Amino acid sequence: MTIFTVAVKYLRGRLVASTLTAVSIALGVSLVVASVVLGRGIRDGFIAGATDYNLVVGAKGSPTQLVLGVIFRMDLATPNIEYTTYRDLLQDPRVETAVPIGVGDAFRGFRYVATNNAYFAASPWRHKTFALAAGKFFTDDQPSKPAYEAVLGAEAARSTGLQTGDRFYEGEEMAEYPLTVVGILRPTHTADDRAIFLSLPSYWGMNEVARGMAVKPLTAVLIRPKRMSDLPSLNRELNVAADTQAVLPSAVLLTIFNMMAVAENVLKMILAIVGLIVLLYVFVAMYSATMERRREIATMRALGARRATVFGIILAESAGLATVGGVAGLLAGHAIAYLAGLVLGQSGLVTNPLRFNLFELAVLVSVILLGTFAGLLPAVLAYRTEVAENLAPLS
Amino acid sequence: MSEQSAVLLHQVKKAFPLHAGRALEVLDLDHLALSVGSCTVLRGRSGSGKTTLLNLIAGVTAPSAGTIRVGGTDVFALSEARRDRFRAENVGYVFQTFNLVAALSAIENVILAMMFADVVPQREQRRRAGELLTRLGLSERVAHKPAQLSRGEQQRVAIARALANSPQLVLADEPCASLDARTANEVLAIFLAVCRQEKKTLLLVSHDEAALAGADRVIDMTDLNRTEADRWSA
Repeated sequence: MTIFTVAVKYLRGRLVASTLTAVSIALGVSLVVASVVLGRGIRDGFIAGATDYNLVVGAKGSPTQLVLGVIFRMDLATPNIEYTTYRDLLQDPRVETAVPIGVGDAFRGFRYVATNNAYFAASPWRHKTFALAAGKFFTDDQPSKPAYEAVLGAEAARSTGLQTGDRFYEGEEMAEYPLTVVGILRPTHTADDRAIFLSLPSYWGMNEVARGMAVKPLTAVLIRPKRMSDLPSLNRELNVAADTQAVLPSAVLLTIFNMMAVAENVLKMILAIVGLIVLLYVFVAMYSATMERRREIATMRALGARRATVFGIILAESAGLATVGGVAGLLAGHAIAYLAGLVLGQSGLVTNPLRFNLFELAVLVSVILLGTFAGLLPAVLAYRTEVAENLAPLS
Repeated sequence: MSEQSAVLLHQVKKAFPLHAGRALEVLDLDHLALSVGSCTVLRGRSGSGKTTLLNLIAGVTAPSAGTIRVGGTDVFALSEARRDRFRAENVGYVFQTFNLVAALSAIENVILAMMFADVVPQREQRRRAGELLTRLGLSERVAHKPAQLSRGEQQRVAIARALANSPQLVLADEPCASLDARTANEVLAIFLAVCRQEKKTLLLVSHDEAALAGADRVIDMTDLNRTEADRWSA
């Protein structure tokens, strides 16, 4: 038997109290870990979704609304711009890639996103890759002959139950223009998982107003310049134009992250208080456990245990509780993040909540150190236990 | 004589501090020597200093004056850590209220005492503890927690624990006081027999007739402790 086995026996000897203490630690740790993992996942989701293109061109208005609406489909779509804007940009020598986007209505809550196959094309600079789980990408059809083909994001397909070959529409007025599922994408863990992609001609064909327009409408154009040095001039020119604005998604992300930071700071304060309460709980648990067995501690001293030995036993118990609670909390935190990710992931915001990193290791080490610290005073109490005084016969 | 004594106390005093610099003297002893392998019974009324004397010999309470030698070693000349180790290896202690660790089984309580000393190698500890418990009639109870044992069984575990490191000196503070008469006789008989077999020096606080009858020497605290004698004569 060693100090550690005695500590474990003691912890098992008061199983209910030990379990409750470990659970309280686990709850506190899981809250911290889940918050951080989710926060990180949300940031990663935003970054993954927004960093492939350097510029988003849309109608004048709120830059945040444009980025949230076009890239994350979290806000109402901004007013339309003309298709000619896209055509002009495509021919601009400074532009490497221009992708037209038309954000439309929704089918069972899943947004229609009209674009062309350039949206799915792989490039060395792209973080996001699209792969088909089934079927094919839609045909880049002509406005005169829309194919009404749809490619479903993974979550949209899973949730609606649509499969390749299925035809669908929402509302009786759209029965005349049903879309046919030709492909289903693999998960990208971005907002694209919840999108229903179709060609621009199909998008225009489904819209009564657009059908009659000579110059077809678009919601936005995603731009990647050939050289980064061209970005300021493109940005300036498109913003000077009367009907368009150009937005740097990274700048909007910064705004979003700054807004998130306020909430995160409040959350940090709450988590700090939770941590303090857990620390206090461990202290009280260890203190009362030590007080309850001063006689046993005195007995061990009388049997020849050194002060350092009984000090070590109490610290080992405290560290043991913190380790068990910390590890359980770490796992529970990731489990909570995973479950929350399943829900939030439907917004395409969370990426890889099961990833462990150095932060979690730091949390675990901190919890063990703090738990041990909480046991310090009870351990000192054990260290200072007067043997003769506590061995007096009970009468 | 000191070379032949298992325990030797010389001009030992013990006083507990009270308020305002006053002190309560509980023990004033000129000389006490216990020969190796002897069985000595201490008796005296409550508060006569019996437990204090055992605690002084065990080295858990420091004397106010005088020297205490166990096996020739001046116990309080040692640092506290060395004194703890010395106690673990040389002194077995049986308490009136058993004082077993509730979270540990009978055998673990015995092993616990070995943990604090370097006498029994770790790989031998379980076997040795098992043997002791068997000798004390507890072979079927080794895995039981104290709460699952009768009071007599608990005290036998405590005796096994006191003998775990084969100490030369065993101190017992009214080991049968909280047992019924029949159990007390049984436990005492086993205790005395084991100590005799292993040639332990035994200092026993007891008023039990069986203990008094089995002892080599009976010391009355009024004869040993001048404080106690003064109190009676006053």
